[in-house]
Amino acid sequence: MKIFKIKLLPAALLLALSGGVGTVNAAVFVQCPGDDNGNAIWDEGEVQPAANTKCMHLIAGDSFAVMSDDNPLYIFGYGDQTGTLASEVIKEGILDAEWPGPTVELEQNDEFYLSLTNVGTVIRPDLFDPHTIHFHGFPNASAVFDGVPEVSISINMGATLTYYYNVVEPGTYIYHCHVEATEHMEMGMLANLYVHPLQDVTGCVDALGVPNGNCSVATRKGGTDPGAPTGYTYNDGDGTTAWDVEQPLQVSAFDSEFHDASLFVQPLPFAALKGDYPQINGRGYPDTINPGIMPPPADNWASIVGADGEIHPAGKVTGNPGETLNNDTPTQLLDSNATVTAGQTLLLRLSNVGLDRFYTLTAPGLTMKIVGTGARHMRNAAGDKNLYREVASVNFGGGETHDVLVDTTGVAPGTYFLHATELHQMSNLTQLDGGMMTEIVVQ
Amino acid sequence: MIKIRQKTVRLLSMLLLGMAMTTIVSQSMAAGHDIRGIKPQGGTTFNLYAFPFNMNLPDGSSMHMWGFGDMNGGANASHPEGNGYSLPQYPAPTLIVDEGDTITINVTNFGVPEPVSMVIAGHKANAVGGTPGLVTRQAGLNETVAYTFTANQPGTYLYHSMGGINPGLHSEMGLVGALIVRPTGFDSAGNRIAYGATTEYEQEFLYLLSEMDPDIHVQMERGHYSHFTNSDRHAAIWFVNGRVFPDLFQGDYNPLFPHQPYQSLSLSHAGDRVLVRAVNTGHDSHPFHFHGENLRFIARDGRLLSSDGGVTPDLGRSDNTLNSAPKQTVDMIWTWTGKDLNWDIYGPVATNGCTDSDHNMLDDATGAACHDNICIDVNPVDGFDDVNHEYCADHGKAIPVSLPGVQDLTLGGWWSGSPFLGDTGDLPPGEGGLNPFGGYFLVWHSHAEKELTTWDIFPGGSLSTMVVVPPYVPIQ
Repeated sequence: MKIFKIKLLPAALLLALSGGVGTVNAAVFVQCPGDDNGNAIWDEGEVQPAANTKCMHLIAGDSFAVMSDDNPLYIFGYGDQTGTLASEVIKEGILDAEWPGPTVELEQNDEFYLSLTNVGTVIRPDLFDPHTIHFHGFPNASAVFDGVPEVSISINMGATLTYYYNVVEPGTYIYHCHVEATEHMEMGMLANLYVHPLQDVTGCVDALGVPNGNCSVATRKGGTDPGAPTGYTYNDGDGTTAWDVEQPLQVSAFDSEFHDASLFVQPLPFAALKGDYPQINGRGYPDTINPGIMPPPADNWASIVGADGEIHPAGKVTGNPGETLNNDTPTQLLDSNATVTAGQTLLLRLSNVGLDRFYTLTAPGLTMKIVGTGARHMRNAAGDKNLYREVASVNFGGGETHDVLVDTTGVAPGTYFLHATELHQMSNLTQLDGGMMTEIVVQ
Repeated sequence: MIKIRQKTVRLLSMLLLGMAMTTIVSQSMAAGHDIRGIKPQGGTTFNLYAFPFNMNLPDGSSMHMWGFGDMNGGANASHPEGNGYSLPQYPAPTLIVDEGDTITINVTNFGVPEPVSMVIAGHKANAVGGTPGLVTRQAGLNETVAYTFTANQPGTYLYHSMGGINPGLHSEMGLVGALIVRPTGFDSAGNRIAYGATTEYEQEFLYLLSEMDPDIHVQMERGHYSHFTNSDRHAAIWFVNGRVFPDLFQGDYNPLFPHQPYQSLSLSHAGDRVLVRAVNTGHDSHPFHFHGENLRFIARDGRLLSSDGGVTPDLGRSDNTLNSAPKQTVDMIWTWTGKDLNWDIYGPVATNGCTDSDHNMLDDATGAACHDNICIDVNPVDGFDDVNHEYCADHGKAIPVSLPGVQDLTLGGWWSGSPFLGDTGDLPPGEGGLNPFGGYFLVWHSHAEKELTTWDIFPGGSLSTMVVVPPYVPIQ
C-alpha cells in the first residue's frame, strides 16, 4: 500500500522544481482593477472602481473528498483564494480544492475579473496539467475566455490567467474546467454559477426600462414592499419568476474506479466510465442535508466493498485508517438543504454535470414549474408568450440547467424529498438510501 | 528555417480545415453553407445499395460497418465535391428533396448478410418488391425494394433500416441517414428558409449524432450474427456526421476517410443565422452542448414548434444544450454577434491610416486586414455596423486584462495566438498553426464528457466545432 504523507514544504518545493522546467518566469499574477496588492479584494486605501466591478481568485489543484459511505476519493478541483496575497496563494492553495468548486454568484451588469492560479496536483507529481475555466452558457463567448484548451489557452502550474466577463444575461450557468475534459470533470472540476437579474433592483419594467407596476423591487436589493419577493429569476416584466428562497442544486456522479485509478497512477477507464456515487452539490444523501461544511477528509476507518465485490482496505490512501487527508482542510462546503415557510416560492437552480448519463429529478408532494432553461427565461423569441412547463419531474443531461419554481402555497408543513427518479441512483456505491437525494423542509 | 516551417504548417492546416481561401470575396457574394448530400434523379428517384465496408478510426481501429451508398455515383450530388462519390458510407447519403415531391427510393442489397429495409421517419411510405419484413418489405441479397412516399412537409427527418432477425442491429451497423425536405419557395441563393418565411438562415449545418459498441462490429465482422444481443450493448465510440474528433474537422469527401464523406466543422460570420439540423440516429440520448451562444429551437421531428398553425416558431425556447433523444430530429437557429463583451473583438483600431470604405474589414488598396475607426449603424439601427456587423458600442474598447506570456500557457493547436477575431499572434515554433485566419473556435460537443472519447482514447468522439470567421472570409 502506498503511503501519501503530505507536507507543505516538499510539496511547494516540488511545484517550484516542476514549474521550473517549462514555465520560465511563472508567477501568481492577479488582475483586479483598484486592487494593488494582488489579493483580489479592495483593502483599506484601495478603491473599487465601481459597484459592479467584481473580482475573485480561484486556484485549480487537487485534494480529497469523502463519500457518504466513508470512501475517500482523490479529486481535482477549484478552491477560493480571494483575499490571499499573491505570495501566499501557492502555499494556501495546495491541497485546497473544493468539491464542488466555490459557488460563483453574480449580478447582471457585473464586470467580473476571475483569476485562476494553477497550484498543481501534488498528490500526482507526475502530472503537469494546465487548467481553465469554462463559463458554461456565457453569451457571445470569445474564444480567449471560453476555456477550451484545444482551441484556446490554458494556464500552466505556478501561473495565473485572469478571465474577464461582462455579465449581461441573468440565469443559471455552470463553470468547469475544459482541459482533458473527460478526466478533469470526472475528477471534480465542476461548480455552480448563477446571475441575478437587474429586475431585482428595478422591479418590473417595460421594454424602455420604465417601471410598469407589475412587480416591485426585490427585498435582496432593498425592496420594502411587503409583497415583494426576495428576488426574481429573470427580467420577466410580469413578476412570474419571483422567489423567496433559492437553492442551487448541481447533480453529478463520481466513478470511484476512475478516481482510484487516478490516485494510484493507473490508466483511466474512459470507455468503462460509470458513475457509482450519485451526488448533489458534491455529497450523497444523507450528507446532502448536513448543514454547512463537512469535516476535513480522513482515510477510511473500515474496508469498503465495491460494486464488483472488490475490497478497498481500511486506510485506502495512506495505509493508516482515520488519518486526516488534505492537511485537515475541509473540502465539501456546500449542503443541499432548502427550508421554506408554507406559501413561499422556492427557486431550485438545477444543473447537471453528470458525465455518462441523464438524470431525472422529482419532489413527491410538491409541484414544479420550469421557468428557465440554459440560462434563459422560458419565453418565445417575440417576447410575448411564456413557455413555462408545470411538471412533476425534470429530465436532463450533462450541461443542461433548469430554473424550477416550487410554490408551497397550500402545502402541508413537513419534510419532502427531492431525488432521482432512477431509484438505483439513490445509493452511495453499494450503500442504499443515499446518493442523489436531498430534503426540502416546509415549515 | 522556422518561418518556412510555420508557413508550411499553416498551408497544411488551411487545407485540412477545408477553409482554403484563394481569393477574398465580400460576405454578400457568398451564398452561405448548405448541407452536403444527394438530390433525386429526375427529381423523383434515389437508387441506393447496401454493402458492408470497413472504416478507419483515429485510434487505429478498423470498424466493420454496413452502409448505404449512392448507386448513381453522386451524379446528383448537391455540391461538386460529391460528384463521382459512390462508396457505401457512414452515415448514409443525406437525401435532399423538395416539398411536395413524390420520391421513390430503390434499395438494393448487394452484400449485407441480413435483409435490408427502410423506415422513413415522419412519412407514409409504400414498399414494393423483396419480401415482407418486420415493419416494411425488405431486400435480401440481390433483391431490390422500392419505397415511395410524398414529402408533404418541409423539415429534417431520418431514415434507417430496420428488419431481419435483429431489428436493433441495422442502425448500430450504420444503415442510417438524414432526409431534408426543402420548403416550397426555397432558393439556395435567394430564399434560404427551413420551413416558412419566419425561419430564414444564412448558414446550414447537419449534426447527425450516433454511437457504437465496437464489440458488436467485431462480432459481425467475424460472421457471428447470432452473437448480437441488445442486452449488453455498451457504446464506446461517439460520432458527429459519422466521424470522430479530430477527423470530423477535415473536410467533406476527404479521401483520407473514404467511407465517411461528411465533416462536422461549422462556420459563421458574426450575426449570421445558423440553422442546425440535429439528428440523433443512435440508440442513446446525447446532451449536446453549443459553445458561444444559446440556440433558439424552431422545430422537432420536422414540425415547426408553433401555436399559430405553422406561421412562426412561437413555442420555441432558448437553450445552450440539446437533450437529443434517439431517432429524434431538432432544428435550431444559432446566432453569435459578439455583442456586449465590453471590448473590441477586432482589437485595437488601426492607426496606420488604412481605409475600409466598403466595410469588409479589409484595406481598400492593399486587401490587408483593416480595422479602421468607422462603425456605422444607420440602417437598420440595431447597434451593429450595417455591413460587417461589428457591435458599435464596443468599438475601440481595449481588452480589459493582459494575457500571460506564452511560457505560462499551454497553447491549443487551433489557438491563433491572438484574442482578436481575424488576428493572429506570434507563437513558439510548433505551437498552434491550425487557425491561420484567426477564427473564434467555439466547440460544439456532447456534454456527457465520456462521449469525448474514441474507444477509450481521449480526446476523440463527439467533439465538433463552430468557427466564427471575420466578415471577409467566404463561407460556401
